[in-house]
Parts: sequence; structure tokens; C-alpha cells
Amino acid sequence: MKNSIFDALLVLLFVGFASDAGAQQFMTREGHVHFFSSTPIEDIEADNRQMSGLLDALTGEFAFQVQMRAFHFEKALMEEHFNESYVESEAFPKATFTGRIVSWERIPNDGQRHDVVAEGEFDIHGVTQPQRIEGTVQWMDGAWKLKANFEATLADHNIVIPTVVKDNISPIIAIDVEAQLLPR
Amino acid sequence: MKRLNRWLVGLVWIGTSAMHAQGLLDELNAVTEAPTLPVRATFKDTRIVNVQSNETPAEGVLHFVIAHRFGTLSSGAYDLWGLDNAQMRMAFDYGITDGLAVGVARNTYQKTYEANVKARLLRQKTGPEAFPLSVTWYSVAMANGSRVAPESTPYPFTRRLSYVHQAVVARKMSERWSLALVPSFVHRNFVQESGEAHDLALLGVGGRCKLAPRFSVNGEYHHFLTQSFGDAFSPSLSLGVDIETGGHVFQLHITNARGMFERSFLAEPAGSWANGDLYFGFNLSRVFTVKS
Repeated sequence: MKNSIFDALLVLLFVGFASDAGAQQFMTREGHVHFFSSTPIEDIEADNRQMSGLLDALTGEFAFQVQMRAFHFEKALMEEHFNESYVESEAFPKATFTGRIVSWERIPNDGQRHDVVAEGEFDIHGVTQPQRIEGTVQWMDGAWKLKANFEATLADHNIVIPTVVKDNISPIIAIDVEAQLLPR
Repeated sequence: MKRLNRWLVGLVWIGTSAMHAQGLLDELNAVTEAPTLPVRATFKDTRIVNVQSNETPAEGVLHFVIAHRFGTLSSGAYDLWGLDNAQMRMAFDYGITDGLAVGVARNTYQKTYEANVKARLLRQKTGPEAFPLSVTWYSVAMANGSRVAPESTPYPFTRRLSYVHQAVVARKMSERWSLALVPSFVHRNFVQESGEAHDLALLGVGGRCKLAPRFSVNGEYHHFLTQSFGDAFSPSLSLGVDIETGGHVFQLHITNARGMFERSFLAEPAGSWANGDLYFGFNLSRVFTVKS
């Protein structure tokens, strides 16, 4: 009985002060996001190596964001169309993913790679959708390494593909994310 | 009691985690500055209507334009309002780098050949190192390829040449509005009438209003700063729309200029808007990624 009250207080304490505990936060400014659209006619992919992110190492909560205009494509015209016509990056400059790594407290920092699930809100093109992402985390050289791949459905985020290019762009985009977060 | 504890912890979790995730994002925003990024797509194409925009083909991209200019709309139904008198301009522009392009073109009008170079000098940027304007230089040499009659008349090649130099000063004001100021200098080695000026200076203004992600309305006007002679030519005024579909841009426009190369539409616009001496034009541009 006493123990459980103590536990509760402990959790309260951690949760309450988590955001103030500077050393408990891990951060990146150069995470890598890659996405891929594959159709029989055309493959389209882009890279962004300027993803920023914060991870609260106590609670497993995180926030990641990318500047849409920092995605680079193989063809300049793709990049222009991506920004101008699809994600409308002037109006919606960022994509964000905020949430929490499920059962974070059970993940040991033993240098091994551990499968995890992140649950949160994925915001792109100004439309927020709940998103569940499977990935791995690994404690290595004083940093948390995060890796994940997931799929996003364009229609869910109100990104419209015109009929003329409907065969060139996949309605479901595969996204890979990789980041190494260092203590702040 | 145990139940109460769980409930308490749960409550705290619910209360803080929503707040936290947002809090982390706010914190992230506070510590990460937006990167400096170039402003892209001030105009959809390398031309506003007739005149060059600040855009250049990207590195390794071949930009192919087939432009059509029909006869005057005032020519009536017999000529299908000018459609029977189509003239063409075929142009190839190649991006050597993202800021330097060279091009060649051939026009039906006066069988004119063109060679041009276009260089981006300054680029509009946003972010910590923001810059408000784009400045692009354009120089073109034009050669009239028409035969002279009688053939025996001495007509040195240099007489066929004319040159235009321009600076395109452009700014993407907003997602919707882009504006450009285009000072131009025209030099003609040979003029038709004695007393006609060989050198002309003009100040052009152009703009676009993007009404939908793939559709914009464009316009341009060129004011004579120096006169050729009298009021032989009215200033060049053009209105058009850009429609984008994948790798193509379609441009439809109405203009009082007959020719599609700089000397013609700047120095010698043929028609007057007031009399309806207007030409319908249709450009189709396509990009090919030659080198990636």
C-alpha cells in the first residue's frame, strides 16, 4: 500500500518535471526523412536531411518536424510541383509528428536494437491524422538512434492528385525516417 | 486505495501528455530556426508572356518550347480570326547549372534565328539570410534570315543582327502574386527607315496572379523610355494564362506583338489594342531531364 502511493508520487514527480529536466531531453537537427512513391510508370523519391526532433527520455514523448521546402528531388520540376501543387508548402510549411513511444519505460539502454511502436499525431498539409508507426530504437554512443518506416495516404491529408498524373503518383507514400538524438 | 492511485496516475498522464507533445513541439520550434531557402516558382515558366521571367531551366534540364502566334483577331471569320496565319517559334534552352542557361531558337517571323544566354545573378530567399529579390540577366542575339530582293544587292551579314539585353528583377510577393520589372536595351544594326533609332531603352513591368495551384493569369507591358520615331509603334501589352499539367506548361495569350523574339515584341509591336489588332498566341513548353 505504502509502496503504491510512493510509486504514484514518483510518477507524478517525473511527469510533472519531465519537460524541465534538460538533461533528459535528446535532440536532433539533422534527421533524415526519405519518401518514395512507386507506380509502374514512374518512381518519385525525395530526401530531407534537416528533420529536427526532441525526445523526452523520461516519458518517451517526442516531437519531430520537417520543412517541406527542404525536400530534395531528383528532378527540379518534381520539387517545384511538390511544393507548389501538392503539399502547398507556402501555406503549410511544416510536417510534424508528435506523440509517445509506447512502453518507453520498458526499453533498456543496453546497446541493442529494440522494436517499438510510436503513437501520435501526424500533421502534413495542415491535416492532422492519428498515426501508429513501428520502428526501432537503440541506445548507442550516448545517443538514441531511431528508425522507422510507415505509410501515409495522401487522401487522408487532403493532398489531391489530378487525374492526368494519377498513374504517375502513388496514392500511398512510403516514408523512412532515421535520426540520432543527442543529449541536449 | 490502489484504484485511486491508478486513477490519479492516469489523470496526470492524460493531462500532461497532450500538453507535453505540444510543449515539445513548441520547444523544438524555439530552438530550431527555419533554414534559409531559395524562393522557387516565382513564375511557372521561363517567360511571363513574351518577355523572360526570372526563371531558368534547372541544371541538366532541356526546356523545349513550341510557340505559335496567329494572325490578327480583327482579320475576321474568313481567316478564322487569325488562325490561318500561324507563325512559329521553336526554342531549346538548356540549363548548364541551376543559374546559367543557354538557348537557340528559330522563328517563322522574318526567319529569325536566336542565340541567348540567361544567368541568375541574385535569388530571392527566405529564412535567417533572407533576400527580397531575384535578379536574372538575359542577353539575346537575333539574326534576320530573310532573303533580300534583288539578290544582287550588297547586304552584309552584320545588317541582319540585333541584340537585346535585359535584367529581370522579380519578386514573389505572395503565393498568389509575383511581380517583375524588366529594363531592356535594344540595339539594331540596321533599321528600316532613316532617322529610326538604332538603340532603344524600355522599362517593362510584368506579373502573375496564381488563381489555382496549376493556373495563373499573367500580364506584361513595356514602356518606351526612348522613342524610335514618332508614334509608329504602340507599346507592347500582353495578357495570358499559364496552365500546368505535369511536365508541360500551356500558355495562351493575347498580345499586340507579331514576333515572339525580343527585338520584335519590344521595339516593333505591330498592332494597337484600341483597333483590335491583336494576336492570339499559344505556347507549349516541355522539360526533359537530360542529365540528372
